[in-house]
Amino acid sequence: MNRLNQLPTLRITPSEKLSLNYRGKTVQGVAGDTVATALFANGVRVFARSLKYHRPRGLYSLDGECSNTCMDVNGVPNVRTENTLLKDGMVVREQNVKGSADRDWLAFIDKLDWMMPAGFYYKTMHKPAAIWPVAMKQIRKAAGIGVISADYQMKGQYDEMFIKAEVTVIGGGAAGMTAALAAAESGQRVVLLESRPHLGGCFDYRVSTTAEGTPLYERARDLAEKVKLTGNIRVFKHTSMVGAYNNNLITAFQVGKASDTFTERYIEIRSDSVVVATGCIERPLIFDHNERPGVMQVGCAHRMARTYGLLPGSEAVFSVGHDLGLEAAVDLFDLGLKINCVADIREDGQNPELMLALAERKIPVLKGWVAAKAHGCKKVEKVTLSTVEGTVKRQFPCDLLVASAGLTPVTGPFILAQAKMGYDSHTGYFLPTELPEKMFPAGRITGVNHPGAIEASGRLAGLKAAAAAGADVGKTVAEAEKAASVLPGPERGCKLVTAPVKGRKSFICFDEDTTIKNIKQAIEMGFDVPELIKRFTSAGTGPGQGGIPGHNLPLFVAKYTASISTPVPTTVRPPLVPTFLATYAGYNHHMFKHTPLHDSQIADGGIFRNIGVWQRARYFSADFDCREEILNVRNNVGMLDGSTLGKFRIHGPDALKALQRVYVSDMSKVKEGRIKYSAMCNDDGCVIDDGVVVKLGENDYYFTTSTGRAGQTVEWIRYHTRFDGWDFSLVNLTDAMGVINISGPNARKVLSKVVDIDLSSEAFPFSGYREFLIKDAVFVRAMRLGFVGELSYELHVPSSYTQAVWDLLKEAGAEFGIRNFGVEAQNVLRMEKCHVILGSESEQRTNLLDLGLGFLWDRKKADAKTVGAVALRQAEKDAGRLKLVGIRMEDDDRPARDGALIVDNNVRGYVATMRKSFTTGQAVGMALVESQLADIGTRIEIFEDECNGVRLYARVVATPFYDPKGERMKS
Amino acid sequence: MFWKSKPLWGNKTRLKSSYDAVIIGGGLHGLATAYYLAKEHGLTDVAIIEKRFIGFGGAGRNTAIVRANQRTQYNVPLYKEALDLWPVLTKELDYNLMFNNCGNLNLMHSEAAMKAARMTIATAQFHGVESHLIDAKQAKELVPALNISEDITFPIHGAMFHPPGGIVRHDAVVWGLAKGAAKHGVDIHQHTEATAIHTEGGKITGVETSRGRIHTPRVLVSAGGYSAGLIYHMLGIKLPIAVLTIQAMVTQPLKPLLDHVVSSGAYHCYANQTLKGEIATGAHMDQWPNYTTQNTAHYIKHQAEALSDWLPCLRGVKFMRIWGGLADMTPDMAPIMDGNDHYEGFYMDCGWGYFGFKSCSAVGKYMAQYMASGHCPDMLKPFNLRRYENHQLMGETAELVSYTPNN
Repeated sequence: MNRLNQLPTLRITPSEKLSLNYRGKTVQGVAGDTVATALFANGVRVFARSLKYHRPRGLYSLDGECSNTCMDVNGVPNVRTENTLLKDGMVVREQNVKGSADRDWLAFIDKLDWMMPAGFYYKTMHKPAAIWPVAMKQIRKAAGIGVISADYQMKGQYDEMFIKAEVTVIGGGAAGMTAALAAAESGQRVVLLESRPHLGGCFDYRVSTTAEGTPLYERARDLAEKVKLTGNIRVFKHTSMVGAYNNNLITAFQVGKASDTFTERYIEIRSDSVVVATGCIERPLIFDHNERPGVMQVGCAHRMARTYGLLPGSEAVFSVGHDLGLEAAVDLFDLGLKINCVADIREDGQNPELMLALAERKIPVLKGWVAAKAHGCKKVEKVTLSTVEGTVKRQFPCDLLVASAGLTPVTGPFILAQAKMGYDSHTGYFLPTELPEKMFPAGRITGVNHPGAIEASGRLAGLKAAAAAGADVGKTVAEAEKAASVLPGPERGCKLVTAPVKGRKSFICFDEDTTIKNIKQAIEMGFDVPELIKRFTSAGTGPGQGGIPGHNLPLFVAKYTASISTPVPTTVRPPLVPTFLATYAGYNHHMFKHTPLHDSQIADGGIFRNIGVWQRARYFSADFDCREEILNVRNNVGMLDGSTLGKFRIHGPDALKALQRVYVSDMSKVKEGRIKYSAMCNDDGCVIDDGVVVKLGENDYYFTTSTGRAGQTVEWIRYHTRFDGWDFSLVNLTDAMGVINISGPNARKVLSKVVDIDLSSEAFPFSGYREFLIKDAVFVRAMRLGFVGELSYELHVPSSYTQAVWDLLKEAGAEFGIRNFGVEAQNVLRMEKCHVILGSESEQRTNLLDLGLGFLWDRKKADAKTVGAVALRQAEKDAGRLKLVGIRMEDDDRPARDGALIVDNNVRGYVATMRKSFTTGQAVGMALVESQLADIGTRIEIFEDECNGVRLYARVVATPFYDPKGERMKS
Repeated sequence: MFWKSKPLWGNKTRLKSSYDAVIIGGGLHGLATAYYLAKEHGLTDVAIIEKRFIGFGGAGRNTAIVRANQRTQYNVPLYKEALDLWPVLTKELDYNLMFNNCGNLNLMHSEAAMKAARMTIATAQFHGVESHLIDAKQAKELVPALNISEDITFPIHGAMFHPPGGIVRHDAVVWGLAKGAAKHGVDIHQHTEATAIHTEGGKITGVETSRGRIHTPRVLVSAGGYSAGLIYHMLGIKLPIAVLTIQAMVTQPLKPLLDHVVSSGAYHCYANQTLKGEIATGAHMDQWPNYTTQNTAHYIKHQAEALSDWLPCLRGVKFMRIWGGLADMTPDMAPIMDGNDHYEGFYMDCGWGYFGFKSCSAVGKYMAQYMASGHCPDMLKPFNLRRYENHQLMGETAELVSYTPNN
């Protein structure tokens, strides 16, 4: 197909050839082409088949409001080829066809529409019930458009940027550019977003002139040049705005050029104010077969010629409702298109100059006429025009039917910003009845169409936005207002809802193949709200994001439903433009915290797991039962990285009061040089945290929390003291301190090689706390704890020194055979001692008493209003609670799995943790059971998953299982 | 044209001045209760009062997943019954609810999660509900798109596979129940707002609406996310419910890719393919209480990041639409179903969080029984409001209490 290569408006570079593979053949396009225009240049007219009826579909709007040109590009489904720039070597395939788009075996379905009225699937295929599974399979196969393979790997670089702007202008047409320039005058940082690859909007392809006689395309290029030269305007072309959130947070994504380092990038803009200059799309004209290939909108036909140099047909009929249609007819005629007739829906109100131009070219014009039916299947062959009332009809041959009912503003950004939308009876648009805060409309979205008025409204909006963002704009707003007021205001819009047709083949939504007949059926069935009709008929829920039915559906419902007098708009939801998950995901960082010992734990062969926000070494060998790790702690000495523990300091005059509030124990009894183990409960008495507290001085404490709770502890304490006005400071030292746990009978021997203080049991007993320096340099807080049930030291070391201290201990322990143990070994070791881990032996409803930790609770400190104390008092008398008990299997070689149920005829509890203990040779564990089953000696019945009715048995036994007197940990 | 179109749930009717029962909220629970009241208990003089249109709230916003693999013995039988009712209702209502019992796969990403799953599975099996623990490889066989490699944020250890679960077309349930209720004589009053509940001597006497007063001895509030607010404002009963916005989204329609519902707690993310071919996905809630149903910028981004990890082929697919609904959360993730306690004739059915859809059929049946007889059926007894006063949380969630609006 020959291109109009010399037009000054072109956005293609005809000399720069690109090739693409289409259905196995290589075809040529040129730089600047979209995939669809390149295919069109190669004679392709049918791009896809429709979802339900497999009707042939062609170029319609060029802006992606429908799935007509959705194709598979490089294995990516549902690519809107009409606004995807062609890149060399693209592989393009048709979707949803059996055969090809041109010859689709499933095209016969179009004849079966009578079987498929609105919502037919709700009324069929369920009688008898056995049909449904079979029918469902067929529905699944038939539904969907594109295909993605399960192992598909998306190629490309996906970038993200988070920027700040005083003013964001959405839309780079004349109004948007003028707004950006006006806002930039006052020095504001301005961001300008344009969805097409170039600025210019509706001026870009038009040769009609401004009041000064400059062709609009030239004017657009002048403005673009000014924008380019303005340092404080940051322009993002080929960038679609997709979301608007509270406080003018705007999201968008940009498609990268061949020279860019990114394929697409997600952009998030925190903007003080926003100008919406998104302009208009066209309101589709509804008539019979209104979506046949060869039927296209005015802007599409015009831009095909002016932007891409492709005459969209040879012989045309126009059916329009707006002066832009007449303008396009004149211009396309001059470019060589034969025009058999222009039907204008409007009886009057046409621009006389355009009427004169049409008359000069001897193009017949029918006022008050509209297209009623397009003939032909894979391409338009002729058209029946009719008077708007349907009284008289005439036929014209054509291979191009330019059809448009008028304009519809792109108000998505306003709707996303929670604007209430109302019907404006002058323009026929849905416009915001009240503007969202600091958001201003500019250009054609306000209803103006006069080029001067478009620019004037842009300037006004730009200045208002700058003022809203805090700029001193002086009297300029008033001046701009005055300038705009003398220019033509919003134009009266064409109100025609549909051509005079019955509507069986008149499509209101192309993506979902919804006809106006379907809408009528829905209304008759009681669906009288457009939003409900949308759900029932799926109109507007397809890949086009409702661009085709968005305006027409509410108009039609209002026209057809007696009870609705004013059209009610439907909702638009983000993203306004379909957006790749890859683009939203961006870099997709993995965000886990690493302990100071992370690298050495890896070097030592640690097998890591994610635990909350941390990554921790769970195992140190492929033996996930951890036999060697466990026995080494029991018989020798092991080291554990415990750095993930929550660590806090609380100090200030009311520090003790705060601790009294949240801990169940009497914290005034914490002695210096000793550690105290205690727990925190919530208002239900359920345990939410446990840890140790150390007194550093008067009203100065250091305490630990469980790994999972660390992030919430500060808030927890603040929250529960919020009405008291207490004076204390709380410092989260979790990341500032590393923790090394050294445990086992030889722990003292190892540690004594590294520190100078007296480590004897008398000088540093169990439950003791000491501070000292290692190598006269590294400050250490040391605690003697017994979590794993052996002689054990927990060293809290500043993070930057943790590795050094670890290495010293490792070296010192070499002669004893010191080795790492991981979280799983610790889990078994502490289980043998029946020390609980919250979340493992407890769940949400488990309270302090249930865990057998009631001894921690001091009932006398009533004045502290201990969180949870009221509930604990009540629970003391409650027999219907689960209790934590120790259990031992009757068969020591068959431990029940964690999570197995304890049952009789009902569920009575469950196994929290159970292991075959290497130390004792017994299968032992802890279980939460109903209190009636908690007595020692009770035989309990265990139901495991996949047990096939075979139950296991165990008995409640005394705890702990290992070293019941605690001699080893106190040694 | 095969069928003549006629109003699905009756013509618009006049609001009568008196009804035997009034149900506030034209969502799934209200419609189901009305349906069963009329059908099973002969209580046909029932009005449903709906402020907007039926299915406006959670009924039309959920992602339609149904399952019966809850955690406790109180919940599993209720949801099992609900699950079993889908084919029954399809037949009874003569309306295709499009139950796709494709099975649910719940991914586990740690040893601790596998343990938790084992308990849930044992509970299901104990109650005769099919559910199995499978390893990552088996999960991949069921869902070939799954990424079971080690180098993702939360590597997949295994999954809980629950074959009887699946997806039901949620809008169809709304319309089908409305159709069924109307057929048995229930009046559905849309665009009618309940503004007050009248009591006298500890008994319900009537409901005030934007279209006039209704005398009635029984009222059920089942208004989804709006229930707690309504109950407080109308009767002064404060419920331990925090209302949060929860968001969901769909991709563009695709040919069959996912044959099961797949979800991941660690990623806060689930995905299933609707019969239309869209991948419906969503999961966690806003972390602050709000009634806005507004979308937030980072939710959709989070979702894309999560899916990029565990269903990486979806990176080549586009999000098409995101929306929000309300989840009315109780402290123990289990609902409140109660009645005849504060006032004789006052019933409530709320606090469903994001479980309201999967339970609606069975709950409608039992709430109807409750309202018709005045006595609480055994199935609903554990869900009374007093359990919170007694610090007897139900244990439906294993998660330790964290710093949430409930604390």
